[in-house]
Amino acid sequence: MSLRSPLSHHSAKISAAAIVGISFLLGAIFLQRTALDAQAPEPNQLTVYSPQTTYSVPVIDVKGQPYIGLVELLEPLGTVDARPEGKKYKLKFTAPGGRPDEAQFNEGKDKAKVRGANYKLPASFVLQNGRGFIPLGDASNLLTKLLATEIEYHPAGRRIFVGTNPQRFTLELRQGTPSRLLIGFPSAVNPTIATEPGRVRFTFRREPVAAAGADNVTYSDPLITGASFSEHDGMAELDVTGTAPLMANFADGGKTIIVTGAPAPPPPVAEQAPATEAQGVPPSAPAAQPQPRQPAAPRFLVLIDPGHGGADIGAAITPDLPEKEVVLALARRVQRELSNRGIAAGLLRNSDVAISLDQRAVSANAARPALYVALHAANTGRGVHLFTALMPAANALPEAFLPWDTAQAAFLDLSGAVAGSVAAELEARKLPSATLLAPLRPMNNIAAPAIAVEIAPPSDKVDEIASAAYQEQVAQSIAAGIAAIRTKLPEVRP
Amino acid sequence: MTRRILVMFAVLLLIAVGLALYAWHLKRKVARDEQFAARQQLAMAPPANGPPTLVTLYVASDSDATIRKSQMKIVLPEERSERARAILRALFGAYLQTPSPHPIGAGADVRDVYLVGDDTAVVDTNSAFADKHPSGVLAEELTVASIVATLNANESKIQRVKILVNGQERETLAGHADLQRFYLASNIREVVKDLQ
Repeated sequence: MSLRSPLSHHSAKISAAAIVGISFLLGAIFLQRTALDAQAPEPNQLTVYSPQTTYSVPVIDVKGQPYIGLVELLEPLGTVDARPEGKKYKLKFTAPGGRPDEAQFNEGKDKAKVRGANYKLPASFVLQNGRGFIPLGDASNLLTKLLATEIEYHPAGRRIFVGTNPQRFTLELRQGTPSRLLIGFPSAVNPTIATEPGRVRFTFRREPVAAAGADNVTYSDPLITGASFSEHDGMAELDVTGTAPLMANFADGGKTIIVTGAPAPPPPVAEQAPATEAQGVPPSAPAAQPQPRQPAAPRFLVLIDPGHGGADIGAAITPDLPEKEVVLALARRVQRELSNRGIAAGLLRNSDVAISLDQRAVSANAARPALYVALHAANTGRGVHLFTALMPAANALPEAFLPWDTAQAAFLDLSGAVAGSVAAELEARKLPSATLLAPLRPMNNIAAPAIAVEIAPPSDKVDEIASAAYQEQVAQSIAAGIAAIRTKLPEVRP
Repeated sequence: MTRRILVMFAVLLLIAVGLALYAWHLKRKVARDEQFAARQQLAMAPPANGPPTLVTLYVASDSDATIRKSQMKIVLPEERSERARAILRALFGAYLQTPSPHPIGAGADVRDVYLVGDDTAVVDTNSAFADKHPSGVLAEELTVASIVATLNANESKIQRVKILVNGQERETLAGHADLQRFYLASNIREVVKDLQ
């Protein structure tokens, strides 16, 4: 028979309670991590609209406060050279055609220096893994200071308009049978459209759209009952509500969206009368009826595809420098250099998002570019490697269906010519380069002339791969090579 | 009250130390298991007797981004697919040594080579080959090209090569090189020519 003292009995209870508590704690942590892994939420973002480009910057949470990366904010707008020195973070920013401006921030401090003057941040500056972050609320102030241009900031929507006015839309309800709501924009728009019974929603991710009047409008109409505009997470949304299913059509070259009642199930084709109502309407006025879209004029678009993104970091150039960041910075430089040469260029990824290889190919082919340029970075070798697809060449009729796995085969001659032109520009700048064939996805699936560029460090110093000077030289070579061969590449009708 | 807090603190400390020890034990166990699995795979190679045979390897080099032809003598099994496997293992051996001209993932191995008809080889690699392969267009191309060129150099009938990982088709080797296709030896000869 054993006797237990009240104290030991009590300790045992405490121990048991502690073990149970810790088990619950560990279980909760595990479950939370699992849930996070299984369903990663859409990242919060700030969208910046400028005359040259539209881009998104991820918003991170630091001690409950939203912060954004300085380099990510500034890089699309100019040349950025940033480096941490102990607890200091020194940044040199050069706007296109401007002079370099310097700024210095201090980790954990809200006092900084921008263009030689004292500058106060609303909260402390954060330095993480060699990257500098400022409070989200200060982004517009810093851009105003560095760019010396007009900035409009919509804090609730996390949208910044740099040197460009928002596209303010107008609403005009034309009552009739059925009623129509005409939404007019200063220039063509291409929103995502979602419909559900009694509602149609337009989401503008790329366009700097804003309301001209009140955000919420109510109509006393039997069909269309209201429209409401909102902004959040770097996007704008326009909701049109009605008493019956609604549909949307574009008119006036994409400058007007017409919302009206969705038609009843279609009658037999022979009984449909041709629409003649729109005849005689001046071309600049919003059309009264949806008109068939005119075939767009051919245009020359270069689509730049910075590889990897999101959880797929690509190659680890250094432990703190993933390939996905190097190539996004390079892509923005190439886009800027092409723009300087009068060539329209788009980015397939302009933020840290994951896109599958098939999605990249689908998006690229849907954009119908005149040229596709994939960007990669690695430690292997030195200088720049240019690649065209490794596959036998094949002839294909224009507009013919192409096999998915070998869609690039019909464009190999033009792709090789582009690679040769870029190689010549790299050589002219004394950058080591080689042109090779490669079994690279998704280049095999691209139905347009396509090259891939993989940059390696210029010397034994691996981190020089991210230096502004080196990337600028590479970007200029790529852009100059494309510009030199532009006349040989056919323009494509979108 | 103080005593209760002390007891609780001691219990928490003990649990934390216990968990740390357990995590360390698990980590060592995983490493031991991986080593054991690798040894098992090597031990499953068929016995080969007879005189060494001269084989041709196309060996990649990262430092100058080249693929160079080299020759070595190894003892080869009689059966065709086992011979192909032994030759590729010799190539992997060159990459796995220290220092390596073209590092691939530690523990990378060829599980099997299946010869389909006269002209097609399906190379089944283990997970370590793809999971630990350095990422990069050129790095991955060097590996794929050296495998295909080596097979074709030693068995000229092999004109098409497909690479599997752990018996499964994979989208890419390490994010770049396409592993969903058959590689043609004629195409790879062009690549090797450019890389020499």
